[in-house]
Amino acid sequence: MIGQLRNASGIGLVLGLLLLWEASARLGWVASPNWPPVSAVLAALLRDVMTGEIPTLVGGTLWRMAAGLFAGGLAGVVVGLGFALLPFVARLFAPVVELLRPIPVPAVIPPLVLFLGLDNTMKVTVVALTVFFPVLTNTVQGVRAVEADALAMGRTFGIGALRRVVFIVLPASLPYILAGFRVALALALVVTVVAEMIAGEQGVGHYLVMMQFAGRAEEIYATVLLLGVLGYALNRAFLLVERRMIHWWFALGRQSAA
Amino acid sequence: MSITRRIALGTTVGLAAPAVLAQAPTRLRVSVIPVLDVAPLHAAIREGYFTAENIEIDTSTTAGGATGLPGLVAGQFRVVFSNCVSIMLGIREGLDFRFISGAAGSGPQPPDSMAVLARKGSGITSGRDLEGKRMASNTRNNIVWLRGMAWVDKTGGDWRRVTTVEVPFPQMADALAGGQIDAAVFSEPFVAAALQTHGDRLERIAWPINETAPGSTIAQYVAMADDLARNPEVFDRFARALHRGADWANARRGDNALLELVAGFSRVPIERLRLAAFTTYPKGVSVGELTEVIATMTRFGLGGRYPAPATLIHRTAAV
Repeated sequence: MIGQLRNASGIGLVLGLLLLWEASARLGWVASPNWPPVSAVLAALLRDVMTGEIPTLVGGTLWRMAAGLFAGGLAGVVVGLGFALLPFVARLFAPVVELLRPIPVPAVIPPLVLFLGLDNTMKVTVVALTVFFPVLTNTVQGVRAVEADALAMGRTFGIGALRRVVFIVLPASLPYILAGFRVALALALVVTVVAEMIAGEQGVGHYLVMMQFAGRAEEIYATVLLLGVLGYALNRAFLLVERRMIHWWFALGRQSAA
Repeated sequence: MSITRRIALGTTVGLAAPAVLAQAPTRLRVSVIPVLDVAPLHAAIREGYFTAENIEIDTSTTAGGATGLPGLVAGQFRVVFSNCVSIMLGIREGLDFRFISGAAGSGPQPPDSMAVLARKGSGITSGRDLEGKRMASNTRNNIVWLRGMAWVDKTGGDWRRVTTVEVPFPQMADALAGGQIDAAVFSEPFVAAALQTHGDRLERIAWPINETAPGSTIAQYVAMADDLARNPEVFDRFARALHRGADWANARRGDNALLELVAGFSRVPIERLRLAAFTTYPKGVSVGELTEVIATMTRFGLGGRYPAPATLIHRTAAV
């Protein structure tokens, strides 16, 4: 009940801000053609959704994001398990990972264009690189947090090392891994759009740049709003999946409801 | 997947054996910028001139052209549209670009596609007034910047004492009206857009190209020298189709048909295009105009060892 009320107040704030936006444009508080009223922005959004242009672009962007998320996430989990379970792997690769991790991915897009071109290969790679590091770090943390009792029990029952990893370590570290994916998801959307803005005629990012050059402010803000809603929806959807996958974790009450 | 493979196969066959061209279109990836200057290319695509030459054009639009010339070197593109100064700087650094066609030029007198704008009532009317002040161009060391500096010099200013800042075209009008910069070199359709939306606060104070180098060149299409040597007939066909597109666009200057074409590929509202000044669409590149650009670049700090212009012009641009 209180939670519902709190949610409602949050939505109220959003509506209030949108109203402020509308008023600031209509009443000339911000007098620039590059600051259109939100109603005109929504009209532009609706128009391009109805023509089918926006849905196609969003579909392409989400596809590239998902492909990158899958590839980078899988690599992050596998390498993370290796790091946490095999000390020599950690000793060998930790310096490389720590050096590469802080590099902002948009900075490496131009050289990647040289090797991977301008199309999906480059964009998916860029997203995968972005996703890889948070998933890797969280996987390592997750494996370290697996309770020694659980592992000892597995050993007592004579379960082999590989099966212990798949059936004990992996499920037990899943809450951490999923938390890594949640961080990666938000980054992945950002980076997909940035990569599309830099090169090639694909997706929401290219649409955004084209509209900037065409001087169509309504469409620019429509895209920005759309990306905000898209990011929000992706996060909500992810939370639902997370709850289904690790309901036991929430049942333990270690994490307060998000 | 199978389509891609078929195209790849088609390209190889097309390149190797002109005799079987009939079945296999050559696919060319061309880097362009979403500006008025590339109207002939889009005209040639839409009117089927490339299809008639058995060429399939795949345009890749890049804002500001940042990945254009590097992409040409890396083999991502076969043809790149770029401004003359950026191309010459690449050539100076030893990159083997060759001009395969003219693209855009300035007319002999105003109106022209580039303009210097300042705030109304700021009292700025010349390069001398801009000394110690901030002037924007979309990028440093390109044709916009060069003509802006030449205009500062011509109107009594010391170009070294004018602070140049990079502001992307779409943000120039707001930056100028907001006082972050004191003048800016705009290119169409951003001149028309700025005067349309900020007309009460901004005014045009100069036509930088007409006042310093009337009728000069702005942008060209380039390809790599080794590609031209290996596949000369592909580029002959490309240039033939492109030049038919230039004829189409030149015959429709100020016409609704041309405005609709540009509105279609650039998404600029057609009412705004009506107010914009268009570039000319030359088909050739001349020794004279390249010599002028190199001389001007040298005057404004971009000098160096440039090859003789005649050696840079491929036969398709020698018209």
